[in-house]
Amino acid sequence: MTTPTPAVAVPAEPATGDAVPPRRGAPAPATRRRSARRSPLRAQRRAGWLLLAPALAHVAFWIAIPVVAALALSFTDYTVLRPPRWIGLDNYVEILGDEVFRQATWHTVVYTFFTVPVAMAVAVVFAVLLNQRLLGRAFYRAAMFLPHVTATVAISMVWLWMFNPQYGVLNAALSFLGLPTQVWLSDPDLALWSVILVGIWQGIGIKMLIYLAALQNLDQSLYEAASIDGASKVQQFFRITLPLLKPATFFVFVVSIIGAFQVFELIYVLTDGGPANATTMMTYEVYRSAFEDFRMGLASAQSVVLFACLLILTLLSRRLTRSHDE
Amino acid sequence: MRNRSHRGRVGPGPLAATAAALALVLAGCGSGDGGDDGGEFSGELTLLTPIYEGSDGQRLLEEEILPAFYEQYPDLKVSVDYTTYGNLNEKLTTAVASGLVPDLMMMGVGWVEAFAANGVLANLTELGVTTESLNEVYNPAIVQGGVVDGSVYALPVMLDTRFGCVRSDILADAGYDEPPSNLEELREYARELTVRNDDGTLERAGFDMLSMDLRQMYEVFLFANGGSLFTEDLSAPAFNSPEGVEALQFLVDLIHTDRVEDIGFSSTDAEVHPLLNGRAAMGVCHNNLWVSLQEAAPELADQIQPFLITGTQPGMFFGGTLVTVSANSDKQEAALALAQHLTSAEASLLANEQRGNVPARTDLLDSDYVQSNPLVQFAMENLQYAQREGGPPQWLEIRGDFAPAVEAALLGEKSAQQALDDLAAAATEAMSR
Repeated sequence: MTTPTPAVAVPAEPATGDAVPPRRGAPAPATRRRSARRSPLRAQRRAGWLLLAPALAHVAFWIAIPVVAALALSFTDYTVLRPPRWIGLDNYVEILGDEVFRQATWHTVVYTFFTVPVAMAVAVVFAVLLNQRLLGRAFYRAAMFLPHVTATVAISMVWLWMFNPQYGVLNAALSFLGLPTQVWLSDPDLALWSVILVGIWQGIGIKMLIYLAALQNLDQSLYEAASIDGASKVQQFFRITLPLLKPATFFVFVVSIIGAFQVFELIYVLTDGGPANATTMMTYEVYRSAFEDFRMGLASAQSVVLFACLLILTLLSRRLTRSHDE
Repeated sequence: MRNRSHRGRVGPGPLAATAAALALVLAGCGSGDGGDDGGEFSGELTLLTPIYEGSDGQRLLEEEILPAFYEQYPDLKVSVDYTTYGNLNEKLTTAVASGLVPDLMMMGVGWVEAFAANGVLANLTELGVTTESLNEVYNPAIVQGGVVDGSVYALPVMLDTRFGCVRSDILADAGYDEPPSNLEELREYARELTVRNDDGTLERAGFDMLSMDLRQMYEVFLFANGGSLFTEDLSAPAFNSPEGVEALQFLVDLIHTDRVEDIGFSSTDAEVHPLLNGRAAMGVCHNNLWVSLQEAAPELADQIQPFLITGTQPGMFFGGTLVTVSANSDKQEAALALAQHLTSAEASLLANEQRGNVPARTDLLDSDYVQSNPLVQFAMENLQYAQREGGPPQWLEIRGDFAPAVEAALLGEKSAQQALDDLAAAATEAMSR
């Protein structure tokens, strides 16, 4: 009988017979390999946490603690001058019955309803235009983006001058056209629309930038195929570009709604919430309660209501986005 | 598992260490070492001020007013936090909330009650300042702006007054020799002096109300009509009394019936006051209009004439700036010394001159500054008619709702009665809290 040759060569035992036996208590070779693998993993994890630490500390100190504090203060009567006093839901009851806060909520909804879709529509058109090969394209892109990076207070000051009934450029244009001049920010029927106009103008830049980035990732072969099939540019825009921009559109939509609900500086500089509260917004009422009336408890409750509105809108948007993705 | 749970929970040790570290840092940021030491003061005082604003104001304080103080107290140093009245609320709120209250705070008439009632301000009477001693230097009505429950909490620095002003050249062109002496005359003059072009666009307001903060503008008429903001015992609002409603209705009629000014024709941020560029013939004005006149239209020096808006009585509004000492200051006597320096005749004269304001001290009536400024002189000579706003500690909360209420009436969104009743209901609720 012959001994069968193993298919795989097995290393021969040392001929000397002096192999070191495994030490007692030492891990088996397989365990040692796992441990060796785990050790760099653990180090990586530690490094990850270390790198995350500044951001986590920032979130904890500047977001989490203030959010929890605001929630707690919303159940108190806290005027800064006196220590907080627990009053349960009284602040929320007051908000429900507060005509001015109801007005502010409505104005915020109107502002959002008009600034977000209009600015998005204008932005997508400009993005498509500035995605073409135009002379001075970089300049136009920068010019469109400029309002986004300019301080809102500075923008508001410029618009304040433009809205000036006596010297403003808008009334000068109306006069030139033979139309009656307007008191843009003093007429309660016009003031909110004037603010919306500025909001739309200011919001176009960032939306256009996001759309522009999305446009540059679109598959050009689709357009070539559509051209071969005889689709016009307009048809290509509505049948290819817009549908393919849906993910960007959802992103812009969610971010813009959150931004619109947080509008403050425009109101602070342009109208002070007036005339007769015609332009006051939720954020502005929070400010007024806190820093004009010294009612931090009420302001906290108003902030919580604003937060709840934003949370609902964000969850709704996420749901829409998810259903779209699926 | 045990390890994870240990990592997830923060024990009291690190929290206590953080709190201790924060306390040390905050203490380091505080008002420095040193404290009251008999008559010798040393260390650093912190001052929050809404006046001395701009580079001119800062230069005045740091190069003229404070050096004179340092001559007397060489071991004291004053650290100044400049702000404006527009941002004073935020500054004070955050200072009180954080516990980092400056040693001295300057604030407006009507503000002192709230801060004093809640223990933020030092009782200066306990430091030896009495109303009697102040009444010798100031008009008693002004002193009362810093008195709460019989104790002094603030010393007056300057006054801001509001009264009527006319362009006498425009009045003369229309055949009027003198400003209106009562409300009916004011209405008649205003109608006559209003100029509109062919398409009805307003070119000149007969009486300008909109360049002034609406609350303060209304208060001038409220006082002139014999009304007051609150009942005498400060327990309830009184601005919705028949006198108050009549005063607001008068203003509403000026706009809607007599059409002497259109909404939006002017505003508080108008670059040039309409009296100075001829866009208004009369109006409610602030005493510092004279400073604007010197800068924008010095040729009108003889044409701007102040007058008392008179209904059942002459009406004038005064606000102003007072200096207070923090109840938490560990250098209250040093802070009081600085407060007294800032309210001294020399320092307050300089501060008033810089802002074109009315000195609170009666002994400055004869100063060159007052004698050379007709509007300030007029205000000082008629201070007996001036009334201030404020009263109850909740005034800071109530006053913010005033302008929208007056505005709602002027815009015709509410009747004068309804606007003031709604405001009074909100004020009553605030006062009951």
